[in-house]
Amino acid sequence: MGAPFHFFSVAFRLVSNLRRAVDDLAQHALDAATAAGAGYADARVVRRRAQHVATKNGEVDTVSDAETEGIGVRVLVDGAWGFAGDPRLSEEGARDAALRAVSFARASASRARQRVVLAPLEPAGGDYEAPLERDPVEVPLEEKIALCLAAEEGMRRPEVKITEAMVRAMREDRVFRSSDGARASQRFVECGGGIDALAVSDDGRVQNRSYPSAHGGSSAQAGWEFVEGLELAREAERVGEEAAALLTADACPAAVTTIVVDAEQMVLQVHESVGHPTELDRVYGTEAAYAGTSFLKPDDLGSLRYGSEHMNVTADPTTPLGLGTFGWDDEGAPARRQPVVERGVLSGYLASRETSALLGRDLGGSMRADSWSRMPLVRMTNLHLEPGAGTLDDLLADVDEGLYLCTNKSWSIDDKRLNFQFGTQIAWEIKKGKLGRMLRDPTYTGVTPEFWGRLDAVAGLGEWRLFGLTNCGKGQPGQHAHVSHGTSPARFRDVQVGVRQ
Amino acid sequence: MSRALELAERAVGAAQGDEADASVHVESSGFARFADSAVHQPTLIRDESVTVRVVRGGRVGCATTNRTDGDGLAAAARRAGEAADRSPVDPGFPGLQPRADVPDVEGYDEATSSLSAEELAGSAAAAIEAAPGLGLYGYYTSATTELAVASSSGHAVSQATTDASVLALAASDEASGYAEATSWRAGDLDPAAVAAEAAEKAERTRDAGEVEPATYRAVLEPYAISELLFYFGFTSLNALAWLEGRSYLSGRLGERLFHESFTLWDDGRDPRGYPKAFDLEGVPKQRVLLVEEGVARDVVWDRRTAKQAGDGRASTGHGLSAPAQGFGPIPFNLSMAGGDAATVDGLVELAGEGIYVTRLHYLGVVDPREGIITGMTRDGTFRIEGGRVTTPLVNLRFTTSFPALVAGLLGLTEDVTLVNRSDFYDERYPFGTLVPAVATDSFTIVGTGSGPGL
Repeated sequence: MGAPFHFFSVAFRLVSNLRRAVDDLAQHALDAATAAGAGYADARVVRRRAQHVATKNGEVDTVSDAETEGIGVRVLVDGAWGFAGDPRLSEEGARDAALRAVSFARASASRARQRVVLAPLEPAGGDYEAPLERDPVEVPLEEKIALCLAAEEGMRRPEVKITEAMVRAMREDRVFRSSDGARASQRFVECGGGIDALAVSDDGRVQNRSYPSAHGGSSAQAGWEFVEGLELAREAERVGEEAAALLTADACPAAVTTIVVDAEQMVLQVHESVGHPTELDRVYGTEAAYAGTSFLKPDDLGSLRYGSEHMNVTADPTTPLGLGTFGWDDEGAPARRQPVVERGVLSGYLASRETSALLGRDLGGSMRADSWSRMPLVRMTNLHLEPGAGTLDDLLADVDEGLYLCTNKSWSIDDKRLNFQFGTQIAWEIKKGKLGRMLRDPTYTGVTPEFWGRLDAVAGLGEWRLFGLTNCGKGQPGQHAHVSHGTSPARFRDVQVGVRQ
Repeated sequence: MSRALELAERAVGAAQGDEADASVHVESSGFARFADSAVHQPTLIRDESVTVRVVRGGRVGCATTNRTDGDGLAAAARRAGEAADRSPVDPGFPGLQPRADVPDVEGYDEATSSLSAEELAGSAAAAIEAAPGLGLYGYYTSATTELAVASSSGHAVSQATTDASVLALAASDEASGYAEATSWRAGDLDPAAVAAEAAEKAERTRDAGEVEPATYRAVLEPYAISELLFYFGFTSLNALAWLEGRSYLSGRLGERLFHESFTLWDDGRDPRGYPKAFDLEGVPKQRVLLVEEGVARDVVWDRRTAKQAGDGRASTGHGLSAPAQGFGPIPFNLSMAGGDAATVDGLVELAGEGIYVTRLHYLGVVDPREGIITGMTRDGTFRIEGGRVTTPLVNLRFTTSFPALVAGLLGLTEDVTLVNRSDFYDERYPFGTLVPAVATDSFTIVGTGSGPGL
């Protein structure tokens, strides 16, 4: 009994000492910034390790194992922002980052038209760490490769020329301190996986299918048990069969019809047409030059009809397994669940302290940075379409003629998040409440509030799934956010489908 | 010896295996991002990143770190070795780049490298002051980047590059116009002129009208054709996509697919672009002729796809670093031949009737095999009538075939412009396309969106 106890005692002391040292570095940066004239400062010390394993056609395609660490210091000088990042976790690195941030803020302040004001925030802090059974970063590489190879196996058939499987794992320790007195020490552990089959016909036609989600599978803030629970190998045969069958399927016709959208494609629909437009920095124009703005205006809150009464959307950074789950955001605001759309009416925004102050309402808590070297931005956390009632079969049963659309393939939406065109990997005709023939290359298009106004049913909790995506881009320099969305299949009436050149 | 090469050689020295290499990226960058005519997100970044690759008995492992002290590099080398031990033999591994000379290229400018935070903010302010009466949104950014690759085979190459860009969206609630400029010499940029161009265009976008969905003749400014070309290049001019049958060019090399005025190549050594001496595997950059007078000639290659092709192919110097090679080789230096039109107005005259497009937004590849791309026009869309640009249009949704667009070329400007294509995600790696403005008879509009403005 003595040896293990001694081991844990030493390990605990090492972790405690490390945490204290990192905390001291953050404080050192704050002291340097305020001494140089910053009216407000915050510092994030981040250490991350990220692994990615992919196999392709039965061979290892990618094995990456990357670590990065550094400190990011954000300051307000005379009401103007400045930010600097430095990879050196030393007093010198912390001080340099602070002084460089102050110098850039001061240069910007001299030409500023108005001072940035931050909404008040009660100093808070503590520790956050999501529960997990098995740290995915510590799972041996050979086990990850074996899982991928086994998952690929079932997809193989003559028409499927490319089979791919991937898993990822990430562990990040983040310490935050602000001159307002906030302090938080958080550990984030993520993992995920997915499979893809690409079928190519003899005459050069190409189709693909994915599981559990396109564009990198699905991830969660969880232990390796999440990846095992995806049961990639179990789904592989269906994925391969559907990819092959799509080669000879009829093309999706052009029509205005009823669509039932599966939970995975609803993730994209919620993300692009509700998540981004409700980011308050976009509403105020901060992202105008790149990601775009929003069709929403600040005073639309509480009155704008976003969709039908079946539409309820919630931002929830407390969702178990969510990639956007945390104790405190990257400016120290505590996680809290907030409605964004209630019974079809806009009822909330995703916000920061700065945009909350502009709006005059405290909606903060959505500030996130993708690394120590980037300034936090207003980002989605976990944004969910709340479940309705019934099953997918119930949704289908009330369709005389329509399409069931599954798994995202392509997406594009305008700079105000109004006009969109999305494509899915596969569709099935719905005839008199039953699924019929398979269709290839389905697309649908709409204008955000009109489209959501045509929502007439959302399936219930039994169909609700949480998906985690890691490729949400925003900002200049660019940042990738990891966000989760919980969705159920949903039904929309009178939608234009089959848009193709 | 550059800092990057020193780190690469230290990392290789720390590695234990049959062979090893290291690629290094060192960045010092600044971003004066502005919105509503004020700098609101000023960012300064320093970082160093080292990727070590170790080969043991045909097994390959790699690891990346930004801890560049002795312990950090040793730990990365150890993790790479362990990854190799735990991986199966990689039959597709083409071996490390042997010792080779790389071309001398331009691309580094001391004045750009030494720009201070105050000067970045000053350049942003110069842009803002040139667009009075409208809000200005965008950025002024500059960076110094060092790249190096070293290997146990004795190959050791390094390069320092600089880049600078200014981007301006001049906008009010009802109007918006766009312009940008980029160069490896900050002295080439005139932030005030870029902002003035955006503001002038914005003033012409008020009271925008609509058009019916149809296939139109169109004139595309360099900003617009550059983005379409890069998406097409990423999905179709990539040897991995070509080998896997996903590329528009799969099975079609040697065929006349496009208008004879469409000639396209990739040349990392061109001083008009963002010159690179070698790719991220250390392979010397080559000029690759991709389309010659409308005939598809080739795609770009890295070492792995060259081995996979198995027909004597060699890398053309378009490889990514080891952990990213699943994307295949990327044409980062696309260059389109210009045409005969002295000005964009000449193209408008050629088009006669149609649509004038300044810039695109949020492209999505609907069908990579057929080169079909969707997206929106933005910040300067106009009707062309009687050979002149006339009234403004709302943002238009297009879903169009890029191959059809360049098969239907009506004309191109003589001058080509370097258009930045980096969105500055992850590590700084400046790249762009050299393109003319073009006129085409095939640009398919499938819907209308919101009007110009915020």
